[in-house]
Parts: sequence; C-alpha cells; structure tokens
Amino acid sequence: MAYILRRLLGAIPLLFIVSVISYALMGLAPGGPTAIFATQTRRMSPAARAEFIHALGLDKPWYVQYFYWLKNLVLHGSLGYSYVDNRPVIAKILERLPVTIEMLSLALLFTVLIALPIGIYSAIKRNSVFDYAATVLAFASYGMPVFWLGIILIDAFAVQLRWFPTSGANSIGGEGNPTDRLYHLVLPVATLTIVSLAAWIRYQRGAMLNVLGELYLRTARAKGLTEGRVIFGHALRNALLPTITLLGLSLPGLFSGAYFIEYVFSIPGMGYLGINAVFQRDYPTVMALTMLTAVLVILGNLAADVAYGLADPRIRYD
Amino acid sequence: MTRAVLRRFLRHPPGVAGAAIVIALVVGVGVGPILLGLSPTAIDHAVLGYAQPPSARHLLGTDLLGRDVLARALDGGRVSIGIGFTAMLVAVVVGTLYGAISGAAGGIVDAVMMRIVDALFSFPTFFLIITVEALTNQFALGMIVLILGLLSWMGVARLVRAEVLSLRDRDFVEAARALGVSQARLILRHLVPNSLAPVIVAATLAIGDNILAEAGLSYLGLGVQPPTPSWGNMLQDALLPAARNSPWLVLTPGLLIVITLVAFALCGDGLRAAIDVAAEQSAPPAAQSEAA
Repeated sequence: MAYILRRLLGAIPLLFIVSVISYALMGLAPGGPTAIFATQTRRMSPAARAEFIHALGLDKPWYVQYFYWLKNLVLHGSLGYSYVDNRPVIAKILERLPVTIEMLSLALLFTVLIALPIGIYSAIKRNSVFDYAATVLAFASYGMPVFWLGIILIDAFAVQLRWFPTSGANSIGGEGNPTDRLYHLVLPVATLTIVSLAAWIRYQRGAMLNVLGELYLRTARAKGLTEGRVIFGHALRNALLPTITLLGLSLPGLFSGAYFIEYVFSIPGMGYLGINAVFQRDYPTVMALTMLTAVLVILGNLAADVAYGLADPRIRYD
Repeated sequence: MTRAVLRRFLRHPPGVAGAAIVIALVVGVGVGPILLGLSPTAIDHAVLGYAQPPSARHLLGTDLLGRDVLARALDGGRVSIGIGFTAMLVAVVVGTLYGAISGAAGGIVDAVMMRIVDALFSFPTFFLIITVEALTNQFALGMIVLILGLLSWMGVARLVRAEVLSLRDRDFVEAARALGVSQARLILRHLVPNSLAPVIVAATLAIGDNILAEAGLSYLGLGVQPPTPSWGNMLQDALLPAARNSPWLVLTPGLLIVITLVAFALCGDGLRAAIDVAAEQSAPPAAQSEAA
C-alpha cells in the first residue's frame, strides 16, 4: 500500500516532465495555431483577429502559455478548450475513449491468448522447426507496417469478401448496439493483435526457457513425474510470472498502434482525434491526449508491478 | 570474446539466415540500381495512364505515373535502409553518452536524468514523432533522420547506464581512477567500450524500427517527400484508391519492409544469444538465461 502510494507520488514529477516537453515541442515548432487561424479567420478584421489570438493567450511565449495551462489544470482541474470547436477538451476525449479502450483490451486479450501458448511450446521444442517457424512468424508480425496490414485486411475481408465493414465503429443507426460495435471491431482488433504478437511470443519463450533450465525441474523429473506434470505442474506457473511485466511495457506500443488503426479504419476514437488534432494544431487537445496516455502508461506499469508482486511472494517492494 | 561471439553466432541458423538476407539487401540496393540502369523517377510514356503489371520491360511493373517499380524499390531501399541506419547511429551516440554520463555521475544527477528517460518512455513515441514532424513540416532526409534518432535513444541510454553501473566498481575502472584519468576520458575510453555489447543488439533492432517509423510517417504524408522514393512513400502511393487493382504496387514495398525487418530481428536475436552465452562463459557462472 505504501509502495503504491509512493509510486503514485513518483508519477507526479514524471507527468510534469512529460507536460513540459510536450508544451515546449509545440511552442517551439514553427507554424503554430495562429497560422491555421489565418485561414479560418479570413473574414475577421486584423484587429479582431489580434484580439482573438490574444484572448487565447497565443501571443505569449510558450512558457507563459504553459504556466497558464498548468494553473488551469491544477487550480480548476481544467484541460482547456479545443481551438477547433471551442468545446471542453475533456468532453471531446471522454466521448472517444470507450471505443479505443474496447479495441485495445480486446486486442490485448487475443494477443495473450494466442501468443502465450506459442511462446511456451516454442521453448519446450527449442530449436525445432516449430520454434524457428514461430520465431520467423513473430518477427514478420512485428515487421509489418500496421496501416499496410490494415489496408490489406480491409481489401480482402471487407471489399472482396464483404464479410466485415470497411470502416467506422458503428453502422448508421447502430450506435449503442454491442453486436454492431463488435462486428465493426473485428478487423481493427485482428490487425492490432497480429502486430502485437511478436513481443509476447518472444518474451514468453524467453521466460519459459529460463524456467526450463531450473534445478527444481530436474528434481521433478528425478521424482519420476511425467513430462506433462513437470511442464504443467511445475514449469508453467513460474514461466507465466515474468510475462505480467510485459503488460505495462507493451502499453505505449499498443497506443501507437491504436493511433494508426483508428486512422486507417476511421474509428472515431482517441487516436483518430489525436492525429487530427495534431494536423489542426489543436494544442489543448494534443496536450490532454498526451497527458492522458502518459497517465495510462504509468498506471499500467504500476498495475503490472503490483500484480507481479501479488503473484510472486518472493518479490517484496519496499 | 569477439571471436567466441562470432563462432556462437554462426552456429545459430536463424541468425545466420538473417545476416545473409541483410547483406543481400544492402548489396542489392547498393549495386542493383546500377545494374538495372533504369531511373526511379523516369516516366515511361509508352505505358503512361495506368499502372502496368510486371512484364519483361518492367520486371515489377510500373506505378500509377508509369515509373518502374523495381527501380523505385531499389532506390527506395537505399533511402529507407539509409534512414534506418543513420537514425540508429544518432540514437546510439546520444543514448550511449546519456546513459554513460548518467551512470558514471550517480546520485541526484543520475536520478534526474533517468526520470527524464522514464517520462519519454511514457509517451507513445510514435505520436511524439508525428507531432514533431507535423509541427515542424521539415521533410529533408537529414531532418527525418534527426527526429527519428533523437526520439528513440532512451532504450540505449538505459542499457548503457545499467552496464556502466555494473562496471563502475570493477578493478580496471578503479585503476584508471587511481592513475588520475579525467572523468570524460574514463567514460569515453573505459566505460563506454565495455558496455557496448547489449547496445549492438538494440542497434540492430533499431534499424528496422526506424524503417517502420519512416513508413508510418509516409502514410500520414509526413515522411520522405516525392519524387525521392522510399519504401514508405511507395506504400503511400500504393494505397491510393486508383491503385486498388494493382497488387504489385502494395506488395513490393510492403514485403520488402517485412523481409528487411525480419532479417534485422533474426540477426539481433542471434547476436543476443551469442553475446549472452559468451558473457556467461567468460564470467562466473550465473543463472542460465536466454530472455528475449
């Protein structure tokens, strides 16, 4: 408990660094939001435009803007308003979060279900044809550009075979219908699962190999246990433990994948919002998304460490 | 040590296969364009109009503008692998120096430097790259290399720091200190060279990651700009609706990227196994490990 608390406190400076870096990057980059406003506010008089820019604080240097942003966040818990439609950023994100979370968790679930058995079997049959094939397949899945795989799957299963929809998260009129949602998520989840397999297969294989070299397995075999009992009763549980940590480590990659997949499949989630916000120079939205992702990644890592501690009594955090 | 690593590496078939493919690819994109003698940007007016399937005249067909796909793939390979390699060098240099300084300094400096690495790690790096690329609108090759390299050195920094920490109290470092070697010289001449083994593995994989990242940027229109071909922007062209019925356009750059990444990954995996075992044999026996 004290450990969790300390980790959460440790996350505050981390988030602070993340926010400063993001803000500085955006503030120092040429062609900021004012350049976009120049086209959007074509019909405004120069004086009105200047006032508009002043009202948003965009005439100040980036560190002053950052200070205002931080003040609003800390004092009012506000992440600001979108430059594009003036809605609270937090509302824009919250309405887009569910579909992203659904997609990520389904992909993670399938990845784990597929990758762990392959990794374990690879380790048991080390240097066999199966092991080499699994290695090459794992690397191939990691080597595929996400959007390329997505488009190929769309072309095959949506355009040619017409089994699944090409894009979107719901049919028109199908909002709030879980079956309709799942139907739309099949291809994006498949894409994300395929590209995520590699890390899990390799990691699980490594963990299993480590365990297979342990002396207690030799003891178990010497006791005359069948190979099945040795693997399932003794080795497996210990080999699954280290993989828990991958849960936290894989989150940043999953989010990166999600950004692309939502863009490819036109799924109105966080990633779609994020890429569009970047192109529109909608800094408040970009900032909020960056912070939210960082928070989720940090929490994911913490959860993985805590779960590892719970699962393995030898690990003590203090 | 080096020869032991090489010997172990050669006994690991997937790693050797990976290395062979990498060498073939590098030689291929190096001399291929000269042998082929076709310009990657020349438009064949005889077939202008729509993409041509593979033929004797154009071995891998032509793209929507009537340019030879094989010539573009070879030249694009130079660009993509070149970006992957140089961006890796940037990341290795920055990461090694950062990690070595952090590890050698220790104390509060080390703590602050590593918190910054943690913070950068909790970004989805790719989103950061997109953001920087979209905001700066700089698409010169050198700029793309810098952006990719400067946003991907954190893993190397962690590896080097961990090595340096384990080396810091060894006798030879102690001896160098006793001889009055300066801190900078100690880091550059003694600590860094001895901590490079795991970096080599990370560097091998980083080349592939950079190639993939360039392709992703190109998909969003933020990568290498036409007419210079890269595997990324060839893919971007191939994904246009007009290219729908021309699978050779989608498959050529896509498969080349996959093959290249698999080759580098196999290579890295083989190197890791070879280095781990060599380190175990020259060091006191530790727990057997082949963690991936």
